[in-house]
Amino acid sequence: MITEFGNLFLSVAASLSLCSAALLFLKKYVDVDTRYDISLKLTNFNFLFLLFSFIILAYGFLTNDFSLKYVANNSNLNLDTIYKFSAVWGAHEGSILLWVLVLSAWAALIGKNSKSLPKDFVVDMLGIMGILSIFFIIFIIFTSNPFDRIFPVPPNGRDLNPLLQDPGLIIHPPLLYLGYVGTSVPFVFAVSVLLNSNIQIDWISWLRKWVIASWMFLTVGISLGSWWAYHELGWGGWWFWDPVENASFMPWLAITALLHSLIVSEKRGIFISWTILLSILTFSLSLLGTFLVRSGILVSVHAFANDPERGLYILLFLTFVVGISLLLYFQRSPKLASKKSYEISSKEFILLINNLFLTITTFAILLGTLYPLITSTLDLGKISVGAPYFNFIFSVLMLPIVFLMAPAIYSSWQKTDYSKLKKNLFSLFFYSILISYIFMNYLYDSNIFVVYLAMFLAFFTILSSIVKVIQIILIQKQDSFVKIISKTPSTIFANSFSHIGIGVLIIGITISTYYSTQKEIIMKEGSEIILQDVKVRFVGIENKISNNYSSQVGVFDAFKDNNYLISFFPEKRIYNIQKNVMTEAAISSSLLRDIYIALGDQFSSDSWVVRIYHKPFIQLIWYGAALMILGGIFGIFGREKLSKNT
Amino acid sequence: MKFKTSIIPITIFLVILYFLFSGLNKDPTIIPSPLIGKRIPSFESKTLIDNEIISNNDLIGNYILINVWGSWCYACTIEHENLIDIYKNEEITIYGLNYKDNREAALSWLKKRGNPYKKNIIDKDGSIGIDFGVYGAPETFLINKEGIIIYKHIGPIDRNFFKEVVLPYISK
Repeated sequence: MITEFGNLFLSVAASLSLCSAALLFLKKYVDVDTRYDISLKLTNFNFLFLLFSFIILAYGFLTNDFSLKYVANNSNLNLDTIYKFSAVWGAHEGSILLWVLVLSAWAALIGKNSKSLPKDFVVDMLGIMGILSIFFIIFIIFTSNPFDRIFPVPPNGRDLNPLLQDPGLIIHPPLLYLGYVGTSVPFVFAVSVLLNSNIQIDWISWLRKWVIASWMFLTVGISLGSWWAYHELGWGGWWFWDPVENASFMPWLAITALLHSLIVSEKRGIFISWTILLSILTFSLSLLGTFLVRSGILVSVHAFANDPERGLYILLFLTFVVGISLLLYFQRSPKLASKKSYEISSKEFILLINNLFLTITTFAILLGTLYPLITSTLDLGKISVGAPYFNFIFSVLMLPIVFLMAPAIYSSWQKTDYSKLKKNLFSLFFYSILISYIFMNYLYDSNIFVVYLAMFLAFFTILSSIVKVIQIILIQKQDSFVKIISKTPSTIFANSFSHIGIGVLIIGITISTYYSTQKEIIMKEGSEIILQDVKVRFVGIENKISNNYSSQVGVFDAFKDNNYLISFFPEKRIYNIQKNVMTEAAISSSLLRDIYIALGDQFSSDSWVVRIYHKPFIQLIWYGAALMILGGIFGIFGREKLSKNT
Repeated sequence: MKFKTSIIPITIFLVILYFLFSGLNKDPTIIPSPLIGKRIPSFESKTLIDNEIISNNDLIGNYILINVWGSWCYACTIEHENLIDIYKNEEITIYGLNYKDNREAALSWLKKRGNPYKKNIIDKDGSIGIDFGVYGAPETFLINKEGIIIYKHIGPIDRNFFKEVVLPYISK
């Protein structure tokens, strides 16, 4: 009975969104204060009703209400409670409900935190949010309704896709969506600016934190996704350039560019039209990502249930939203162009180059992702573009971006004093070469040029960020450490942590790519294998029965210099309902290296195919991501103003 | 009228839209191979089980299926029983192209799931796959008596694959 309210609340939310959108057209008839009050209420209630509807669906899962088709298809009596809850967004219908719930949450947050903006402008932003929200709610009600009934009611459900029964996947989708959908904030900002043909610098300052927040959530979501792939797919890989991965990575690149152009717009009042365009681009890529994931237009390892009809709806929506905003941009953006010029030696120029390369990278990845579509449309035969294309083009395009990080940190707005810049950078440059040389020779005794180059760039970035923080702290001459920290503008920490994170990430990616060793062998019980400095013994196989799966657990002991180190328990699970075989790799992680063991097929009664990987520094990938996220937190919660000496 | 740079974004957008809309009506799993109607590419490799030399010439003379698979490929395990079915019930020879695989893993995989293949061509580095225009495992090619590729299927074959797809070609 209670689930009927799910549908009802969805319809109420749709009407509320419609009303907020209608306020866009009532400017002449209703005074601004009234419209503002109504708009805030509508937005808050929209969020509440969607939240209720979401809770009702979760309730359906937790109480095993298999009369709901969506619950019956994605849950099971024996499913762990935590996965019953995460199953709410485990398939298409619930994901889209989560999408629109997150959208309404962002809208409500805008309403709460926009005192510094003119009321008229806020009403416009919320109205555009309303338009986005209507489309998605209608989409849910008519093509993807999670409250659809099924009759006769099945006694048990068909279980959640076993791939999704993993701790990492409980929070991965909501966090990713927070970032994904968060790109709607700069989008509605940009469209409102275009509608009003007016922008003030302090509005841009307001936008910055929202962009950082969305960037941060995207970073969290993407890194959790790669973490999950590393643990769950059993191939030791963590990034596959799959269309679905690219779908989240393209908005990330675009919003990273936006983050930097926004700083320039805020500081110098230039690039405003470019910032507006990037805001539109970022959200368009989020929508495109949603379309690619949901339409089944591209072949992906993420086997989501796809449906061309749903794809068509999203594509029409995308055409409408992006088309109108780009038309508005075409018509109005010349009015926003600034007359100010900038010099080649300035920080803004370096950031312009950064933006240029980030945008090119985004389009290169877009091209690679859509390439099978393009060739098939033009009858060139279907050709897929694989990891080699993406790896090559991405690393080449990243080179200048990473190289320019240090100069960007040490340059000044408007005009950089070359002698000062040289003094700072020259020693950093030298030390980075030295450190990467020592690092490479002592650790790996290796001379692959590409690795040298990557190490140099990583250390150059890390060192320059650390030294900059030290310089700023020293310049303050405060007596206590606490005072120094509290006086230092948090933007410095935001900037440094994120850039150090990039450096750490580069070290992790490069070393683990070039120096991993792997063995795929048949091991008899009791046999041993040596991998680098570690000896691994295959002790045997144990059988385990769990709630909704049974599994064979391999027991492996690892030794170093004949001292016992750690045991590994990789599993092969067979899920009872869907009969899927899942590999659960066993991983021993440390800063310096991961040992990764996955159990393959049984070869004979006492021997198994075993995959063992030794992956040096691979954890740095996620440490780097964590540092970037930390930087994001500083950016959101820290004090606003940059001090004069930066 | 003066050229406006702000026209560029919308132009790019329209081009992308064109491809997205045209892609919507196509099933991405049906992939026309440029090799259809052409002879199978020449290659020389070893067979998986007996380690004998095998080349493209060994595949000519009868209608055959070439199935691209790997022990690492999850979808291959799904279609495998359908291949076994064809092997048991139909008069057609199936060759395997063991794609980017490890020999021992492949052997144990076959041992566990049954072997429907007359012979398996080892393609450890995927280079034969490239010549065949392999998009990803599993894929299945139908070759006629003259050694010409007449059909290609991407993804796991289903239960009716032989009756609905292969038979009409063979009985022509």
